[in-house]
Amino acid sequence: MFHKAKTSTCWALPRPPSLRALSRKSVLVAVCLVAPLVPMQLMGAEWSERAWRTDQSKDSVLLVLAAASLADVLPRIGDEWERTGGLSLAFSFAATSRLAVQAAQSGSGDVFFSADPEWIQWLEERGAVSPGRAVHFAANDLVIVVSVDTPVPVHPGMLSGFERIALAGENVPAGRYAREALEKAGVWTELDGSIVTGGSVRGALEWVARGEVPVGIVYRTDAEAEPSVRIAFVFEEPEYRQAEYWAVPLASTEHDQLSADFVNFVLGDSGQAILRAEGFAPSRPTVNDGTGQNLSGGGTGDDLAASFSSAIRLSLIVAFLATLVGLVPAVGLGWLLARRDFPGKAVLSTVVMAPLVIPPVVTGFLLLSVLGASTPLGGLLASLGFPVPFTILGASIAALVVGLPLYVISVRGAFEAVDPMYEELSRTLGSSPWSTFFRISLPLALPGIAAGAVLAFARSLGEFGATVVLAGNVEGSTRTIALAVYTLLESPSGREAIWVLVGASVAISLLALLGFETLSRRQKRRLEDRYAR
Amino acid sequence: MPADADFRLNLDLKISITSGGLRLELDTKSSRIAVVGPSGSGKSTMLRILAGVERRADGIVVVKENCWQDSSNGTWVPSWNRRVGWVPQESLLFPHLTVRQNLSYGGALPDWVSETAALLQIQDLLDRRPRRLSGGERQRVALGRALLSKPRLLLLDEPFSALDRPLRAELSQLVSDWAFERYVPIVLVSHDDEDAKWLAEERWHLGEGGLRKE
Repeated sequence: MFHKAKTSTCWALPRPPSLRALSRKSVLVAVCLVAPLVPMQLMGAEWSERAWRTDQSKDSVLLVLAAASLADVLPRIGDEWERTGGLSLAFSFAATSRLAVQAAQSGSGDVFFSADPEWIQWLEERGAVSPGRAVHFAANDLVIVVSVDTPVPVHPGMLSGFERIALAGENVPAGRYAREALEKAGVWTELDGSIVTGGSVRGALEWVARGEVPVGIVYRTDAEAEPSVRIAFVFEEPEYRQAEYWAVPLASTEHDQLSADFVNFVLGDSGQAILRAEGFAPSRPTVNDGTGQNLSGGGTGDDLAASFSSAIRLSLIVAFLATLVGLVPAVGLGWLLARRDFPGKAVLSTVVMAPLVIPPVVTGFLLLSVLGASTPLGGLLASLGFPVPFTILGASIAALVVGLPLYVISVRGAFEAVDPMYEELSRTLGSSPWSTFFRISLPLALPGIAAGAVLAFARSLGEFGATVVLAGNVEGSTRTIALAVYTLLESPSGREAIWVLVGASVAISLLALLGFETLSRRQKRRLEDRYAR
Repeated sequence: MPADADFRLNLDLKISITSGGLRLELDTKSSRIAVVGPSGSGKSTMLRILAGVERRADGIVVVKENCWQDSSNGTWVPSWNRRVGWVPQESLLFPHLTVRQNLSYGGALPDWVSETAALLQIQDLLDRRPRRLSGGERQRVALGRALLSKPRLLLLDEPFSALDRPLRAELSQLVSDWAFERYVPIVLVSHDDEDAKWLAEERWHLGEGGLRKE
């Protein structure tokens, strides 16, 4: 759908949903295009959508907020709708949970296509949708997928044999359905520790396709379109509940009739034909009775406090690890770049600085390509007992790589500020270059190096994009503050609770920057060898 | 003044630093030479070449039959093995070290540090940081640090410029005696004839035509 310029935003991580059919290289390029949108999403989507609407309002477009698993099929129905004279459409695909919170918060959007009736009901309770207007237009099966080279048959009872199982996020419909199915199969409690959750269902599928996670639970339609995975088990009716897709015009729309028309078009013959061709089950008359598992509101107060302190603790551990491990490379590289001329210096400098300008999501993708469990290096590390993906090690590596440029810039600046004549003098006094480094260069640059460490620490705390791709969003081992905030954004009651983490995040970051400022000043003072005259 | 008979300073250097280039030719048996000339003529560069901190120069440097540099066969003695007492013009002191630590940087023992500090009249400054020193005090500390590094050659770059005249004479005499007792030759660079008069027995002028014995 990327060829359609009006497809506004695509929130799915780590990989935009519609890109599956394309090559890995074009995925990379596309991720570059999408990644800059991520921070916007964290700030709340209001702004982006308002801006978008101001641009587009002249020629009237229907903004369709739709579940990520519809990213392939809905634009096709849209083409058909436009061909028959319908109003132009613009799509925003993301996890249903995220879109619902976004629609309720921003009061924008025209039509909502949900992968889950619960979220429609949630919107009804908030007045964002008129009661009773939602219609059920398609269904989807949940399936267990394994990578194509897994030879054994797999069924729910065997899942406990896998080290990791990829699911969509806990409030994302595919994640909720999967949990429900696993509870029904009676295996949920024993799997609890091995579940890793991505953002949308496509994220979970991507992990299985790349071989990072051996097994996952996703929608049948997504699994069928991904050549790198094999469907091992289908959670079939009537034993298991199907995923239900519902559509409804939003209360915020200025085109209520047209929105309803589009919903009816999807329900109509041509819409249904396209859905069926894509592997969706047909709609059947159902009343949204609100049955099924209730949305997880974020748990009890105690749970929340525990998960908050876990996120804060993890963030600090990850940031400390990244800062500590980064010290030697940062000092080495900073000194090298400040003091030595050598062939390839520009190349080295560029490579080190690259994570500063490359979108962190892309950095994460590249790291996953190098350190993922299916790569030689990642495999070696895993066999030595240091698996990288979905571990605190992975989160620290992501934070380190993304923070290193700031680290190196500061250290390099600190060394450059030291008059080379001090080093020359030291050498004429009998100190070898090595000894001169430790007796002169390092002590003189020390406050600046410390300032760089503080800056890298602050950057590590804020790291999100590379972490979510490389290390996932696993509570207790990789869900840092930034990821916890991101997770809460899609939780129904998340927005109130979020402020605790936002406060912690802002406070720690500002303290770190204050430290940076103080240390930078000290660096300047340290080099004053005489009174200013 | 009896010269160190073994001393031989032979310079044959081509330096490409400025666009015009600088050519230094010096051959002397004197143990006390002063190089005078206008600023910018390359005097400081010459000392840097002798100290081994300036590598953008081609040629030969032989000191006391030790070859420190011979570009024709790649010989290069690194500065930490040359044992020169270099006092650069700026009298740079290591700002993170006290005066005492600066003085003993080259490995001098505490007794010797105290002795030399007393000689240079800086014994009351030993625990200060460089930024709390006056210009004259700084020059004396920089000089003391060079003397305390057991140099085989003293390289002095305008060493007394921040001192007033009586003190300058006193200190020049002191350095002169110190070097004489220890057979340490001196290469002094100055734009001031006074310094040269006190410390040198041979004067060279560095101008546009290169080095010329006066």
